[in-house]
Amino acid sequence: MSDTILNVEHLNKNFGKKQVLKDVSFSVQTGHIVGLVGPNGAGKSTIMKAVLGLFNYASGTITIDGEPVSPTSHKAMDKVGALIEYPGIYPFLTGYQHLELFSKDSTSKDQIMDIVDKMKMDSYINRKAKTYSLGMKQKLGIALALVDRPKLVILDEPMNGLDPQANKDLRTIILDLAKQGTTLLISSHILSELEKLIDDLVVIDKGQIVYTKSMAELESGSKKLLVLKTSDDAKAKEILAQNNYQLDNGDKFAIVENDQTKMADVIKLLSDNGIDIDDVQHVHSDLETSLLNLLKNDKVKES
Amino acid sequence: MITLVKQETFKLLHKKSTYAVSATLLIIMTVFGVLTRNYPKYWGDPKGLFVTMFTGINWIVLFMIAACSSIIAMEFQYGTIKELLYRKYYRGQILVSKWITMLLYSIYFYVLAFVWSMLLKVVLFNNKFQLSDTYQPGHSVINSMWLGIVGSFLTVWLVLSLVLLLANIFKSTAAAISIGIIGYFALSIISNIMFVLMQKWDWLKWNPLNMMNLPSQLVSSSFHKMTLLSTPEMVVGSLVYTAIFMAISYVIFKRRSV
Repeated sequence: MSDTILNVEHLNKNFGKKQVLKDVSFSVQTGHIVGLVGPNGAGKSTIMKAVLGLFNYASGTITIDGEPVSPTSHKAMDKVGALIEYPGIYPFLTGYQHLELFSKDSTSKDQIMDIVDKMKMDSYINRKAKTYSLGMKQKLGIALALVDRPKLVILDEPMNGLDPQANKDLRTIILDLAKQGTTLLISSHILSELEKLIDDLVVIDKGQIVYTKSMAELESGSKKLLVLKTSDDAKAKEILAQNNYQLDNGDKFAIVENDQTKMADVIKLLSDNGIDIDDVQHVHSDLETSLLNLLKNDKVKES
Repeated sequence: MITLVKQETFKLLHKKSTYAVSATLLIIMTVFGVLTRNYPKYWGDPKGLFVTMFTGINWIVLFMIAACSSIIAMEFQYGTIKELLYRKYYRGQILVSKWITMLLYSIYFYVLAFVWSMLLKVVLFNNKFQLSDTYQPGHSVINSMWLGIVGSFLTVWLVLSLVLLLANIFKSTAAAISIGIIGYFALSIISNIMFVLMQKWDWLKWNPLNMMNLPSQLVSSSFHKMTLLSTPEMVVGSLVYTAIFMAISYVIFKRRSV
């Protein structure tokens, strides 16, 4: 069990009559950053809470590092740090006191100050939390998840309320942690941010896993386009088609790129035929586009 | 478990209200002491006041009701319940650590009020009465005070177990505090009706409100004619009710999804 740190198998969960998780199975490789994405109410937080042993579930198994997790079996939680939904903060304690309170005895003061430093919270860490802004509370919540240097970190919407600088800092911290072998399971709506971080993607919709793949696979599966703007688009299309270039069916004038496509050849071909090129752009379909397509074609039916 | 109790104590000690409440208790006790010393005509017998720890025994109930409802409900209110629960500890341990903290807190209050009562006695009423004076037939002043404290402690915990349960169910301090306070003071209002009804239906003597008469019965031996229960029966009854409320709390807390 050394390479899989988290394993979820056939997880089912009901809230009353409504089934919120249907046969959810996925696993998380040690040292990977995994993105858990899906529309609002798809069950992201529910999965995370189940993984943290906060929920009873109807059936299925969850193991962390080989140890089973349920509300009555919490031993594996020693290796886990988490931030779920919104950070839980006592208004009468300072940020530092929160870290002191929730960190393990084995976590030194230096370790606490290290995370404070990395999250750039020094200026207000000794102030009472009731004076904190939303972003400050969020940072404290993230710091609480990371302070014990857990093997598995679960972050639910960690970018909520963070300013662009804090966002960038968080990204650096997450990538550093992953390099050191920490595994992270992150959910976020901000797909452009998530895209910069994750190795693997788990997509959930209406309580079911609809897609699990590595980012590399996702990228290779998506179309890459060469978007052109020329003095005579109609003629250019004709010439390119005659030369076996595949044209995209979209609104824009674009060639679907493959391994053989060379921009220089395209430019040469068109200019030899007396067509001026005004602009050329490479366009990759990003995570957002891929994901929206995926959810649109999604075969999951509402029950 | 020790770690968890330490963490609960840490939170309690970092609340300003903890200190404010202790100070308030001492101030109220002092004010009652001074008034009784200076205006004995209006404020009655200093011995009676001393036995109730200068009214401290009643205030402790109020403060403990507030503390018990807040130690449970605040975690839901602040959203910290998740952080408490997803750690390596078992749910039961989290709840029991809160109970232990509250038990220690209640003991602290009684010790504080007792020590302060002794001080006030020496400073304000040194010549007025002796601790060995007779207060109730067969009971000296200090003896009556001890019995009052023991009886109050048992009944307070009966109320507190209910408050802890309500805070757990409603996740709100307001509901738990109101019902706790009303429950505790309802006794004096409805006890007469209750005693009449108990004459008619004997089994009613086992209702939890009747257990709340324990402090009175401990000091005054004739009280059992009203409560229809012997003192040991009442002690056991209080403990059993406390245990029942605690057990329900425990089951609810363990099953709750957060």
